[in-house]
Amino acid sequence: MDVICPRCKTTKFQNPSLKMMVNVCGHALCESCVDLLFLKGSGACPECRIPLRRNNFRVQLFEDSMVEKEVDIRKRILRDFNKKEEDFASVREYNDYLEDVETIIFNLTHDIDIVNTNKKIDEYKKNNKEQIMKSKSKMSRDEYELEEMIEFERQQEEIRRSELLLEQVEAKKKKIREKEALIDELMFSSTNAKNIVETFAQQAKESKEIENKQSVKRPTQFSSGIQFGKQSNTFLPLPIEEGPLYIYQPPLVIMEGPLLPSEEELSRVGYLRHVRVETEQERAGGFKSNVACMRALQDAFAGLYHTKKVAV
Amino acid sequence: MESKLKRYEKIEFLGEGQFATVYKAKDVETGNIVAVKKIKLGSRIEAADGINRTALREIKILQELSHRNLIGLLDIFGHGSNVSLVFDFMDTDLEVIIKDNTIILTTANIKTYMIQTLQGLEYLHLNWILHRDLKPNNLLINGSGILKVADFGLAKLYGSPNRLNTHQVVTRWYRSPELLYGAKQYGVCVDMWAVGCILAELLLRVPFLPGESDLDQLTKIFQVLGNPTEENWPGVKTLSDYIEFKPFQPVPLKHIFTAAGDDLLDVIASMFVLDPSKRKTCTEVLKMPFFNNKPAPTINSKLPLPQNVRKLKELERPSLKRKLLDSAEGGTLSKRLFT
Repeated sequence: MDVICPRCKTTKFQNPSLKMMVNVCGHALCESCVDLLFLKGSGACPECRIPLRRNNFRVQLFEDSMVEKEVDIRKRILRDFNKKEEDFASVREYNDYLEDVETIIFNLTHDIDIVNTNKKIDEYKKNNKEQIMKSKSKMSRDEYELEEMIEFERQQEEIRRSELLLEQVEAKKKKIREKEALIDELMFSSTNAKNIVETFAQQAKESKEIENKQSVKRPTQFSSGIQFGKQSNTFLPLPIEEGPLYIYQPPLVIMEGPLLPSEEELSRVGYLRHVRVETEQERAGGFKSNVACMRALQDAFAGLYHTKKVAV
Repeated sequence: MESKLKRYEKIEFLGEGQFATVYKAKDVETGNIVAVKKIKLGSRIEAADGINRTALREIKILQELSHRNLIGLLDIFGHGSNVSLVFDFMDTDLEVIIKDNTIILTTANIKTYMIQTLQGLEYLHLNWILHRDLKPNNLLINGSGILKVADFGLAKLYGSPNRLNTHQVVTRWYRSPELLYGAKQYGVCVDMWAVGCILAELLLRVPFLPGESDLDQLTKIFQVLGNPTEENWPGVKTLSDYIEFKPFQPVPLKHIFTAAGDDLLDVIASMFVLDPSKRKTCTEVLKMPFFNNKPAPTINSKLPLPQNVRKLKELERPSLKRKLLDSAEGGTLSKRLFT
């Protein structure tokens, strides 16, 4: 999938944060081109010259911008053509009505017979003014109910969160209290210190067990009643295999010879005076004469102390 | 010589390269599974020149090296006019793992793969050898998760001031900008660039810079890193194949590798430097905080491997079990055809 802006030719490869936008005409532009062309808030589409408004641009969701165009038109048309099945006497009539709506949307999307189609829409609007208004208010009631539901869920979430917070604070307080009690006991009691520590540890363990038992019950369902996880193992977190942390260790090089000078000593002591300085071209290629110098030295030094192993 | 031919019992055909065919074989003397690479003779004219030079390079260099993360050359034998090299048997390679989309690679997994690659390469560089053909399918991995650098057909000694090297090395997608610009004198930096590309590929799961030609390769590089200038790469204009490109704006690596942490981004950035002399070496990269930070690298034996590698291991167990499995699964013939 190689998305490319038709105006500035930026691709998704060059700029992975590339965002394509579409307007009612269905011609895509990237976000920065939209910013540039519609600086004043309105302008013409660079492809079809249709006047567009900047606030009507939205992020392209579908790869095919024709789909975007259709979605736009459909939204606009359905705002007016909003009859429900109950509004018709028979299913047959309802189906005819749906068929009509689809034809209108198709025509507008594909620029077929636009004048007549628009006329048809206007006619419908005039004839069904009352009906449209009524349906609109009905729709808003549905939306209102939905909103109420969401609000309720949000409140529940809020309550749960504050409970969790309270619990945490309580646990922290408890820990501090226990610690203080232990110190007090150690300071003032005459019994053996070891015994005191042990009894306290025992108590802490018991209270933890109780807590664990309490916290077993956890939500295992989404609000829709679907169980968490279970069905799809693929999305379970991968088990983490903890190994030891990596610590760099230089590899062992058996020199059997005098120690080599360090990188810094090469120039300071003057080894580098005896090798040819690299040319600019060689340096640009990544070749440095101190590398050559080091290799020559290693070649010369390595194995100098080598002695034949005497066979016993 | 005849005895050596008998020592290795052919099990199956593994693959065919430009210069050689590779078989899986069993070492009768030790019972180990090995890979036998039989060098192709090619035409009669080539044969008259003697043994193929990539094979010679491989033999010459590998004879002297021994490291956990470099492929081991176990034996060499000739038969007639053929030469065969015996290597450690490796189950899979990094390319297979990258392309297998059922495998999820975590940061810890990537860390282990990178550490092994870099350690092998560090040893190689310390011994004054450049690999010059690093790419995921030359990084072999065995069933216990040990990665070994292989294919030394292009490897060469470096660090000699008077010897010119060819710049036509390294598979294009992993070729560094100085090689593309025709540098004849270069150093470890060409391998480091390739390692950078491999790391990027581990993260993205697709080749990072898949150029279609040498020029397109440079374009892809500059689209990401921006153009080279005398400031960020002194002397670049003196390189023999230098050409000016239309200006590109560098893209922050963060936008490309969105899932990578800051320490990992530092590692990537240290290898994707246009100027070869500013690119970090293996030792320097291994000392970067990323490798020492949490999460700890995955233990070798727990690295994710393709399913058929694990399955193959099971198949090699006593035959009774295999028969049971066969009957239970309705035969594995079709499966084997796909593996």
